[in-house]
Amino acid sequence: MRITLALVIDTFREALARWIFIGLFALSTLMILFFLFLMRIDIVEGGMAAISLFGQGGRTQDVERLVQSVYGGIAAFLYTWGMALAVFASAGLIPRVLEPGRIELILSKPVSRTHILLGRFLGNVLVVAGNIAYLVLGVWIIFGNKTGIWAPRFLAVIATTVFTFTVLLTVVVILGVLVESTALSTMITMGLMILSPILAQTAVAERLLSSETSRNIWRGLYYVFPKVYDIGNLTLKTVRGAGGSIEWMPLWSSALFGAVMLAGALAIFSRRDF
Amino acid sequence: MDAANPVFAPEFAIEAEGLTKVFRSRWTGVTVRAVDGVSLAVRRGTTFGLLGPNGAGKTTFVKMLLSAVHPTAGRARFFGRDASDPPSRRPIGYLPENHRFPTYFTGTGMLEFYGALSGMDNAALSRRIPELMELVGLEQRWARVRVGKYSKGMLQRLGLAQALLHSPALLILDEPTDGVDPVGRVHIREILNRLEQQGVTIFLNSHQLVEVEATCDEVAILHKGQVALTGRVKDLTAGKGYRVTAIDIPEPLVTELGATASAFAVHEDEAEFQFVAREAMNDALDKLRAAHCPVESVIPTTSTLEEVFVKAVQP
Repeated sequence: MRITLALVIDTFREALARWIFIGLFALSTLMILFFLFLMRIDIVEGGMAAISLFGQGGRTQDVERLVQSVYGGIAAFLYTWGMALAVFASAGLIPRVLEPGRIELILSKPVSRTHILLGRFLGNVLVVAGNIAYLVLGVWIIFGNKTGIWAPRFLAVIATTVFTFTVLLTVVVILGVLVESTALSTMITMGLMILSPILAQTAVAERLLSSETSRNIWRGLYYVFPKVYDIGNLTLKTVRGAGGSIEWMPLWSSALFGAVMLAGALAIFSRRDF
Repeated sequence: MDAANPVFAPEFAIEAEGLTKVFRSRWTGVTVRAVDGVSLAVRRGTTFGLLGPNGAGKTTFVKMLLSAVHPTAGRARFFGRDASDPPSRRPIGYLPENHRFPTYFTGTGMLEFYGALSGMDNAALSRRIPELMELVGLEQRWARVRVGKYSKGMLQRLGLAQALLHSPALLILDEPTDGVDPVGRVHIREILNRLEQQGVTIFLNSHQLVEVEATCDEVAILHKGQVALTGRVKDLTAGKGYRVTAIDIPEPLVTELGATASAFAVHEDEAEFQFVAREAMNDALDKLRAAHCPVESVIPTTSTLEEVFVKAVQP
C-alpha cells in the first residue's frame, strides 16, 4: 500500500510540475466560474431568472429542463474536448517514467514491475478523476444552490467519464511501454476516439456496405474498440433522466478492451529490457 | 543454501553463474553478445571492483543483476536468493551511471520517494534523510531545493544518499565519483571505507582504476563480454618492488642473488634482478659492490592495476 501511495504521489508531483494538473484544474475552475457568473447575474429571481439569461425567458420551459440541458452540455463537453484534453495532457506520464537513467533505479527497488506500472496507471487515472470530480461537483453545487434542484444523476458523469478515460489510458499505457512515444500514444488514442462515433453508426453501415464481409469487419471493429460515443450517449440519457433500460454492452465491451490492453501492457513491460 | 543449487550460498552477497545477454535487433535480426557466460562471486563484507573497457558489458552485467535487463542465459543471486525475485533486492542500494533523477523532486522529496519504494516508513525517512544529507556532504539548505538546480557533483552525492538511505547490506555503485571534484572523491572514498568497515558489501563499477585499486579487495576485468581476469587486488599488483641491473657478475653470485630475487634474467654480460623487499635489494647491492660489479641501475617498479588492466584487455 505504501509503495502504491508513493507511486501515485509521484505521478501527482510530476503532473503538477509539468503543469498538467494545474492546466486541467485551471480549465475546470474557469468553467465553474463561468457558470457561477451566469447564475449570479440575477439571483433575486432565482433559477427562473436564469432561463432568461440563456435566451429562453419567453418560453414556458421549467428550470429543471434548463438544468438538465446544462448538465447534458457539460457531459458532452467532457466526452469530447475534456476527454481529448485529458488524454493529451497525461499521455506523457507513462513514457517519461521509462526514460533511461530513471527506470533502472526504480526497477532496482524491491517492487515488481506489475506494481510499478499499475501504480503509475492509478496515479494517472486519479489526476484526471480529481479534475473531473472537481468540475462536475462544482457545477452541481452551484446549480443546486441557485436553483434548488439537486439532480444526483448528474454525478454519474464522474463515474462514466473516469471509466472511459481509464479505458483510453490503457491504450496510452500499452503504446507507452511498447514504443515510448508520447506523440504516437496520443495520436492513436485520439484516433480511437474519433473512430468511435463513426463505428457506432452500425445501422447506416449495414445499409451502405454491399458485402457481408465488409459488414462483419465493421461490426467486429465496433465491438472490439472502446465505445466512447455510446458511453457518452448513455451518460447523456442518464443525465437527462430519459427512461428505458441501460444498455450494458458498451460498458462491458469497453471494460474488456481496457483489461486486455492493460494485461498486454503489463506483459510487455515485464519482458522488456531497460 | 539452496540444496538444488549448491554453488549458491548466502555467504556470498552476489553470485552470478554463466550470465549471458544477447541483444537482437527487432528489424535487422543482428545479434550482439554483450555479456557472455560471466560467473562471479562476491563475498559478504568485501569491496569488489568490476573493470573493463567501454563496451565490455559491465553495465549490462549490473543491469542483469538488478533485473532491469533479462539474461538470455544464466542466473544470479543476492545473499542466496534469486535476483529476479523483487524481495531479493530489498538489501540493495544502487546508484546507476548516467542517472536522470526527475527534476521536479526536491532533494528531500527524491529521498522520500526512493526510500518509500525501498520499504521505509515515514519515521525512518524523517530520521535518515538529514543524516544522509550530512553524510554525503549536502547542506540542509539544499534539501528543499529542486534537484534541477543541483550541480552534477551534488546530484552524485544525492544519488549516493539515495543508495544508502535504507542501510543496505550490499551497495552497487556505477561510476560513483563521476562528475565529483577531487575533494568530493576523497570524501566518497572515505564513506565507502567506513561502510566496508561496518560490513557492507560494495560492488563498484568504475573506470577510475586508481580508485578501484585503493578501495577494492577483489576485481574482475571484463573484456568483450567475458571475464578476462579476476583476483585479489593485492595478488594482481604483487609486482611492486625494485629492479637492479648490473654487469660482469660472476656466475656464483648470479646464482646466489637469483635465489633471493623474485625474478631474474641474464643477457650476455648484463643481469637483471627483481626484488620485492627493500632489504633484499640493499643486501644484493652490498654483495655486488663487494664483488666489484658495476651497478647500472636501481629502479623502483610497480605493477599497478592499470598495467594489469591493459595487459588483460590488450590482444
